[in-house]
Amino acid sequence: MAERAKPAAVPLVLGDKTPGQVTADITRALERRPGFLWWAAFVPSVAALAVGVAAVVYLLRTGVGVWGINTTVPWGFDITNFVFWIGIGHAGTFISAILYLFRQKWRTSVNRSAEAMTIIAVTCAGIFPMIHMGRVWFFYWMFPYPNTRGPLWLNFESPLVWDVFAILTYFTVSLIFWYVGLIPDLATVRDRTRSRVKRFLFGVFSLGWSGRFRVWHRYETVYLLLAGLATALVISVHTIVSWDFATTVIPGWHTTIFPPYFVTGAIFSGMAMVLTLMLIARKVMGLEAYITRRHVDPMCKVVIVASGLVALAYVTEFFTALYSGNPTEAFAFVNRALGPLGWGFWIMVACNVLIPQLFWIKKVRSTFLLVFVISILINVGMWFERFVIIVATLQRGYLPSSWATYVPTSVEIATLVGSFGLFFTAFLLFARFLPVIAIAEVKGVLGTSRAKGGGPR
Amino acid sequence: MSRRLFIAVFERGEDLLAAVRASRARGLKVHEVFTPYPVRGLEEALELKQSRLPWVCLGFALGAAIAMLTFQVWAMTIDWPINVGGKPWNALPAFVPAKFEMMVLAGSVSVFIAFLLASRLFPGKRSRLIVPGVTDDKFALVLEEADASFDPEEIAKMCEGFNVVRVEERLAETEDS
Amino acid sequence: MSERKPKDYGKTRGVRGAGEVPAEPEGASPEEGRGVSRREFLAAAGFTLAGAVVAGCARAPVEKAIPYLVQPEHIVPGRAYHYASTCGGCASSCGVVVKNRDGRPIKVEGNAEHPLSRGGLCAVGQATVLGLYDSHRLASPLAGGRETTWAAVDRAVGERLAAIRAEGGAVRFLSGTEASPTARAEIERFLAGFASGRHVEYDTLSSAAILDAHERTHGARLLPRYHLDRSEVIVGVDADFLGTWISPVEYTAGYRAGRTLEGRPPRLSYHVQFESRMSLTGSNADVRYAVRPGDLGVVMDGLARRLAARAGVVVPGEGGGAEPFPAETLDRLAERLWRARGRSLVLCGSQEIQTQLRCNFVNHLLGNYGATLEVARPSFQRRGSDRALEELQRELNRGEVAALFVRDVDPVYDLPDGETWARAMKEVALTVSFAASVDETASVSAYVCPDHHYLEAWRDAEPAAGVFGLTQPALSPLGGTRAMIESLAVWRGEAKAAYDLIREHWEARVYPLAVPERTFRTFWERAVHDGYVEVATEAVAGGEFDMSAVRPGYEAPAAAEGAFALVLYPKVAIVDGHHASNPWLQELPDPVTKAVWDNYACLSPRAAAAQGLAEGDVVRVEAPGGTTAEFPVLVQPGQHDGVVAVALGYGRRETRRFAGIGPRWLEGRPTVEEGGVVGTRAAPFLAWENGTRRYLREGVKVVKTGKRHDLAITQGHHSLSVPPELATPGAETRPIVQETTLPAFVGNPAAGGHPHHNPAPGSREDLWPDDHKYPGHHWGIVVDLNACTGCSACVVSCQAENNLPVVGKDEVRRSREMHWLRIDRYYAGPEAAPTVVHQPMFCQHCDYAPCETVCPVLATVHSREGLSEQVYNRCVGTRFCEANCPYKVRRFNWFHYRRDDERENLVLNPDVVVRSRGVMEKCTFCVQRIQEAKIEAKRQGRAPEEGDIRTACQQSCPAGAIVFGDLNDPRSRVSRLAADPRRYDVLAELNLRPSVGYLRLVRNTA
Repeated sequence: MAERAKPAAVPLVLGDKTPGQVTADITRALERRPGFLWWAAFVPSVAALAVGVAAVVYLLRTGVGVWGINTTVPWGFDITNFVFWIGIGHAGTFISAILYLFRQKWRTSVNRSAEAMTIIAVTCAGIFPMIHMGRVWFFYWMFPYPNTRGPLWLNFESPLVWDVFAILTYFTVSLIFWYVGLIPDLATVRDRTRSRVKRFLFGVFSLGWSGRFRVWHRYETVYLLLAGLATALVISVHTIVSWDFATTVIPGWHTTIFPPYFVTGAIFSGMAMVLTLMLIARKVMGLEAYITRRHVDPMCKVVIVASGLVALAYVTEFFTALYSGNPTEAFAFVNRALGPLGWGFWIMVACNVLIPQLFWIKKVRSTFLLVFVISILINVGMWFERFVIIVATLQRGYLPSSWATYVPTSVEIATLVGSFGLFFTAFLLFARFLPVIAIAEVKGVLGTSRAKGGGPR
Repeated sequence: MSRRLFIAVFERGEDLLAAVRASRARGLKVHEVFTPYPVRGLEEALELKQSRLPWVCLGFALGAAIAMLTFQVWAMTIDWPINVGGKPWNALPAFVPAKFEMMVLAGSVSVFIAFLLASRLFPGKRSRLIVPGVTDDKFALVLEEADASFDPEEIAKMCEGFNVVRVEERLAETEDS
Repeated sequence: MSERKPKDYGKTRGVRGAGEVPAEPEGASPEEGRGVSRREFLAAAGFTLAGAVVAGCARAPVEKAIPYLVQPEHIVPGRAYHYASTCGGCASSCGVVVKNRDGRPIKVEGNAEHPLSRGGLCAVGQATVLGLYDSHRLASPLAGGRETTWAAVDRAVGERLAAIRAEGGAVRFLSGTEASPTARAEIERFLAGFASGRHVEYDTLSSAAILDAHERTHGARLLPRYHLDRSEVIVGVDADFLGTWISPVEYTAGYRAGRTLEGRPPRLSYHVQFESRMSLTGSNADVRYAVRPGDLGVVMDGLARRLAARAGVVVPGEGGGAEPFPAETLDRLAERLWRARGRSLVLCGSQEIQTQLRCNFVNHLLGNYGATLEVARPSFQRRGSDRALEELQRELNRGEVAALFVRDVDPVYDLPDGETWARAMKEVALTVSFAASVDETASVSAYVCPDHHYLEAWRDAEPAAGVFGLTQPALSPLGGTRAMIESLAVWRGEAKAAYDLIREHWEARVYPLAVPERTFRTFWERAVHDGYVEVATEAVAGGEFDMSAVRPGYEAPAAAEGAFALVLYPKVAIVDGHHASNPWLQELPDPVTKAVWDNYACLSPRAAAAQGLAEGDVVRVEAPGGTTAEFPVLVQPGQHDGVVAVALGYGRRETRRFAGIGPRWLEGRPTVEEGGVVGTRAAPFLAWENGTRRYLREGVKVVKTGKRHDLAITQGHHSLSVPPELATPGAETRPIVQETTLPAFVGNPAAGGHPHHNPAPGSREDLWPDDHKYPGHHWGIVVDLNACTGCSACVVSCQAENNLPVVGKDEVRRSREMHWLRIDRYYAGPEAAPTVVHQPMFCQHCDYAPCETVCPVLATVHSREGLSEQVYNRCVGTRFCEANCPYKVRRFNWFHYRRDDERENLVLNPDVVVRSRGVMEKCTFCVQRIQEAKIEAKRQGRAPEEGDIRTACQQSCPAGAIVFGDLNDPRSRVSRLAADPRRYDVLAELNLRPSVGYLRLVRNTA
């Protein structure tokens, strides 16, 4: 009913809540036992996770050969999934940091879970570069630590080394950012909960928060700083990931457009994933009042913009390739579209460029089921984007003699499934045990709904 | 001798804000304010000065950046120069990404830790709420006896105007968190 | 095994010492003086050993052996010793140098001084060393399939023979072309003891028609010795002389000698090939015609008539059948041949006596006899007679044979009617096989008396008149085997060691031919040292061309409509199948089809399309007479549309050795598929026609079965042109291979070049300072595409030198073969008649190596001598380097490739580490050889010189197409070639500065 009304009139939080109600509503989810829907989502997730674990154990025991990759296509699902998950993570930071800097109030309901999503996604991403190594047990050689081999440091000219720094920084900063935002709410829960265990745990992690305004004052500064730094990461991390490809000599990878292309792509896919999760959390945790059209609508708009940027990147790539007069370069791109993996390319175009255009229609934006479906399709499309960039490019390189095909094995597919399992399992646990919505921040924006002062500065 | 405190509890940020303004107008000393969320306008009302945390952040970030850059140059060109793909010994542009990431990392971690220290927040710290609910939906204003102008009745009357829900008097030693 | 090893060492020394002279000068020179006396003593030791063997107590000398705890003089542990010897891989008997480490041979290489092979060695020869370490070789004689002792066998065989001798039964000794003169003499002597004894020779890949033809035209049944180096015009008619025909290494060397572009004016023979399928030779021809096999005779006849007309000789009979192409084609060729009288050569691989007669006639008209092919001093690399074989078969079927000895051949497998043979042999009173392992014939023989592997034995050979080769043992026999001639001697009642038999034979037969003043001992020692001797032999009788032999009129067999002609051909590496149990050879990509671990039915693209067949579809080949077999289809451009070609040598019963090959995992498939064989036996399709075995069947049906069998092919795309639908204008083909024509080249040596591909040294511009000078050496390789025939010897050589694992069929299917050196084969032009080019591709050791830049852990870095080094123990296996390698020459250890066959592991090169799972590897320019040579040079207080270092691939190349050396040394051959106007870099536009250059291909076409 309310969702029909004009956006301006629609409040960020429905039902004219008081801070007390807000606290109650949001923490209620943590206090009562999880409902059927939660279990319905949790059980399959754990099952998927188990499959993934089995696949990885088998991989580590047997060797990377259990994947379908080969001499010509040495990277397949592994790096595809890595880039995909990293991309997912970016939207979390985008929402919580960049939108914070832009004073987007609507972010308050979603930023908490978006940040959680970032951390989980980065974890999923981090697993792949790790297990894709031929000798995982030497992963620590990727760090520059004093050793008895010279000491032999690292090749700081290798994008993979940059990756190591980027991913770890990204993970740590996201974690801090998320935790800082969480402290006041932990205190809130601490002071409400009746369970001793919870009171103890939340007590420990809320660091003795007592709502003093002087602390709030510093808190605000820190939050702002972290937001700023995280923003720098949104840009830099995926730029560095894109350099894994852009700094090579492989036609189809060796392009200067990659950094912006990857960053927009990341935010695009991330936004879609946030939508997916929001709409799930909304139902599963019964937060219909807090996640409303006022949140979904702008996200849909961001998606349209991102989709446009991605489309622009696709076009530019092709143009430069064909205009450059570099035969191998031109071939690489024609081959992407019309070669053996052309179908992947067209899935990508359909899901990333065409389907998101539906969001121009308000009716679509306000029909959550449609939004949910589209958001999932976008994620499919973005996964294929990475797959096409990596596999379709490697498949047909410089020397036609070594052209080959790549067919993923069951182990690879199981690993991909497993990563989704990990993602959703972790997210559902988060939704179950921590406030999925930034209580303090929402209270801040209640004022706006009641046309009075308040809200974070 | 212990100072006396006057605690007024409100239910709305706006009331608190008004009360603070009023008390300061009366020259009362605001000992501290407790809120469930950062109420906009309080800083000005309380005339809190800008935090110095940004400087900490800047310092550590720059330090880390310089250190990382130096380390890379040293490791690649002085400690053990290795011919990698015919690139020049000192491939500065290649050292930028790692340097940048370390800069951001140092900045974030340092400012976080600095914040905890400055606010004396640490795991296991026992939190004593001034009044129950300040982490939920209560806003507490704590006035401290500074001079003769401190008169609980007067203040209570003033607070009525800002639909206060509860007022109480306390001795200082109980309070601090 | 393991605790016997030290004894082996001692014994090794005993045996090898008995005449061993290292071929390496540094090995020989210092101790030449006292070496003689030592050899005296050791020769005696050899005698006693042999005596002991004869006494039937093979262990005896082992007891006497000196274990390694006593340092043997002249053997430094960890130091490689090279011994000149003669290859026993086939009857061509190429000269080899065996590389020994700590008493075991680890590599067989070509002997550069050998008059026939001239330093090259084919893939089969390279792989024989792995055959030596086959743990399934018999370690003791078998009686009725059960292991027994030599004493027992000798007793039993002796009794049987005595009986046969008494009742005057017929004794037949069946062998392949017996290259060893001593063995021939020994066999004769053995057979002489019986009322009716005959030595029957046949070749699995028969060339009997050539010998028969010469019997008619020159009055002597012989195989002429071909001198391709003296030929300016070479016409090959169905003769794959660069690949599998008779003596490919020798011919390749000669062919190469006739095609050198260094000189001015350049010398480039004109090579025309007529053939029905795409052979390796055809792929190298300047002009190639795909001809229906039946019409090959027509072509030969056409040539004969045209040349006869020019020579004014009257040819009896009418013209042949309709020629498959316009008359001027042959007119022009005839003209060209005529102009090159005495400097031309026509080679014919046909088994049709008529065609062979015409071939002789043509060569006679051209005056080539005595010039480019010799009958006075013929080749003995083929002696087989199909008539004799047919006769023997009749005798067997009539049950007239009392004793049958089989050596080196496997009639039950080789011959079309193997089953009848097997049945017939069961009837024979005494059947003895000398097979090293239980092959098809041995399995139906009463006794199996395993012969040594040639690397364990004393042997000799006479590949051509006046060219004698010696084989000296490189280690003592690994099992309780016994030389065939020793066995015969024992059964003859005169037990003697092979060493003595050979030495005596040489003293009696070979020495007299040699320059007289030297004593026999010096002569013998020289022979052992060199591995061969060249002596003057008196001309073979006959030699006058007999015109009357040329029968009139030639009719091509009519081609049945809608039916195919089935061509049975030998494949490089597998050839006749006698080495089919050798994993290296099975995994060696066929030079033309690039397929491994299988034989298949080759169809031309059009024929396949017409039948609606795609690669991997299984078809049933049905020959008239009801012979059928199923093969997967392989589409072969350049093949005649009416031909289906199937390789011989597959489907052997002995596949135990492959059981352990390839990783075991969830989706892994075994290398040996259902049926327990690799490929399918094609011998049943062989035909007998008036006295010769034919490798051709007319009127064959090819029926689609609907089944599929995906072949393991190492090359994904077979053309330098990208698929047309994906090509952007101007980028249809990639300039990876550059070629030009002779006239263009003569006009401008840089013709066919591409400005970007060989920039002037000074003209290179960079964004960054060139911090890396290479003051000392800068190693590099130049590959002459004009010389490379694609024979793939280098691939196996590299595998042997660098301990490359064999990964099995399934891994190759997943394009994970581990060869560091591959040969890219590209087709160009129309599918029906493409031109072919072979391009060896291996790590280019770029000075600006993209792989190095991206390795996070510095596991691949650049050496001060220009090598791109791979640090195995630092590698964590991110595979980024492989992703960023434009040449895709890096190889990753996807699994832990098991090496659990201890016997087989003896072949590992101790100088090269065996890589573990999860590690990247690639060509190292044989860095171990570079280091060895540098150390040796340093020891001698000098700088390493040209020729000190030869990479494995370079060493084995029969065509000398690969030249390794120091690019910084202006005098080195490689730097001169690198400066050659023909030189270009592959993917030069990337400015990776590869250390490997390629010399442009020049075709002798207008």
